[in-house]
Amino acid sequence: MEKETAIFTRELTRIFERGGEKIRALDNVNIEVPEGIIYGLLGPNGAGKTTLIRILATLLLPSSGFAYVGGYDVVREPDKVRSVINLVSGGERAGYGILTVKENLWFYSQLYGLGIREGWEKIEQLAELLDMKDFLNVRLNRISTGMAQKYSLARGLLNDPDILFLDEPTLGLDVGAARAIRKIIKAWVHQNQNKTILLTTHYMAEAEELCDLISIIHEGRIIATGSPTELKHRVSKEVIYKIEVKNISEEDMGGLKKEEAGIVGLSTSYDAYSNVLSIRLVMDTSDVSHIIRYIEKLNGRIISISKVEPTLEDVFLKLVGVGLSEY
Amino acid sequence: MNTRQYIYRGFKAALGRSYVRIKGGNREISWLLWEVILPLLMIASVVYTYRSMNAPSEFIGFVILGGAMMSFWFNVLWGMGSTLYWEKEKGNLEVLLASGAPLYGLLLGMALGGMFNTAVRAASVIIIGVYIFEASFNPATLPVAIIIFFLAMAALYSLGLSLASIYLMYSRSGWRASELLSEPIMFISGMYYPLSVFPIALQVVASAFPLAIGLDGIRRSLIYGETFGSLAVHMILLVVMAIILLRIGLWALEYMENKAKKEGRLILRWM
Repeated sequence: MEKETAIFTRELTRIFERGGEKIRALDNVNIEVPEGIIYGLLGPNGAGKTTLIRILATLLLPSSGFAYVGGYDVVREPDKVRSVINLVSGGERAGYGILTVKENLWFYSQLYGLGIREGWEKIEQLAELLDMKDFLNVRLNRISTGMAQKYSLARGLLNDPDILFLDEPTLGLDVGAARAIRKIIKAWVHQNQNKTILLTTHYMAEAEELCDLISIIHEGRIIATGSPTELKHRVSKEVIYKIEVKNISEEDMGGLKKEEAGIVGLSTSYDAYSNVLSIRLVMDTSDVSHIIRYIEKLNGRIISISKVEPTLEDVFLKLVGVGLSEY
Repeated sequence: MNTRQYIYRGFKAALGRSYVRIKGGNREISWLLWEVILPLLMIASVVYTYRSMNAPSEFIGFVILGGAMMSFWFNVLWGMGSTLYWEKEKGNLEVLLASGAPLYGLLLGMALGGMFNTAVRAASVIIIGVYIFEASFNPATLPVAIIIFFLAMAALYSLGLSLASIYLMYSRSGWRASELLSEPIMFISGMYYPLSVFPIALQVVASAFPLAIGLDGIRRSLIYGETFGSLAVHMILLVVMAIILLRIGLWALEYMENKAKKEGRLILRWM
């Protein structure tokens, strides 16, 4: 394994057993993450992202295959792996509600082996970096979701890890709080050139904004890897349409014969407030007249139809056939 | 991690966890009051029972010491033993394990913090008990009692490691183990009576439990004024128990963590 590879897996597989049933959560996963980048694992819920992160963080053993983190084997050298990593999950509030944010962070600083005074000093530095001085002395069970995520991130940075695992770091946050978290993540990596982040998300825009390299994971398998630009290049030959329609349901669109209609991928999202169905189509032809006829036949009223620039959502649509939101 | 790092990280983890336990456990003053008043009520009921039967006056001291020591046992049984289960339920366990801090250190911190909190409460129970019920203790042998107390705590903590490993692996099912150990050990340890009331066979069985030996030694020193010489066997037994139970506890923790990692029990709440 090369020195500058932060994370490396080969044929990594994990099978869970539940009630006699075998669930293949990871299926021969191969990834190679160079040092100093933000690597994104993009996929729907249940795709295997969290399972992979838990194996890399030495909390779960693989059923077969190998994984190295920071050059250490996650199975045979878990202590060494743990000395170079930290793990932050979205929506977590790991700590003790009765203690303040500051007291909780000091507790964790001791777990990471920092000195007594060093721990308090590090908390002050992180509070500055993450703009959390206002709630340092508030009990953990009294802070908001956005504050809790900043707190978790501060905990994740306490030991100055070489490799930081972020599992859905903006899960459940409002737009402003999510933007703040993304800004912090970017700033941390840019200020520390040799640090690596492995980030899982099911938000396409987040992956596109943050990640240098992305793997799309689906049903436990990595189905594509590349930079956001490289991935989007995969749909450069296709034409992407966004159609907004009224008086038609998501089920109605399921009746389209995809092969005949030249559809590579199709996703829909319904806004109950405006009664508008948004259809995103990845087509291998620019002719959508038959789609329009199909909608009109169902008495649907087309509000707008436009060609749009490809996004990672369209890559996922092309590779899987349906959109992420449909999981 | 070499041995030196293992001990250092364990010490740091113990420091951090005991800080949480002491800070958290004393944040609300009402908790302290209840934790002193409730054991006192229980002690009072036994004291009045003995008085109604004209039992010897030293029995009052037995009851007060038994009540105080039992708090430490419950701290190990329900506080330290079940702590990994609660950490998992709260979503802390993953973070604690990924931190690289040895589990024994976290549990030691839980035990020490709990011991500190319990000591404050137990001391209050003893002082108030002595004042209200006029129990008398021999202050000259207090150092012997303190040594036996700490040896008993070391053996109980080591037993707590094994118990914690059961919770780590089987989560809520660990409750059964705690329940199983709760009442029988209260009975066999002689919480409210001297072990000498038992038949010889039962006394031999009781001597297998560190709490019974510790409690008996403390009572003999504080009530009957026995010194180092006559309590040497108690101390040797407690040291041997602490060493054996510590080895078993550390092995059990490592074994159960690996098994739990293999089966996914550390990360899946339904397991």
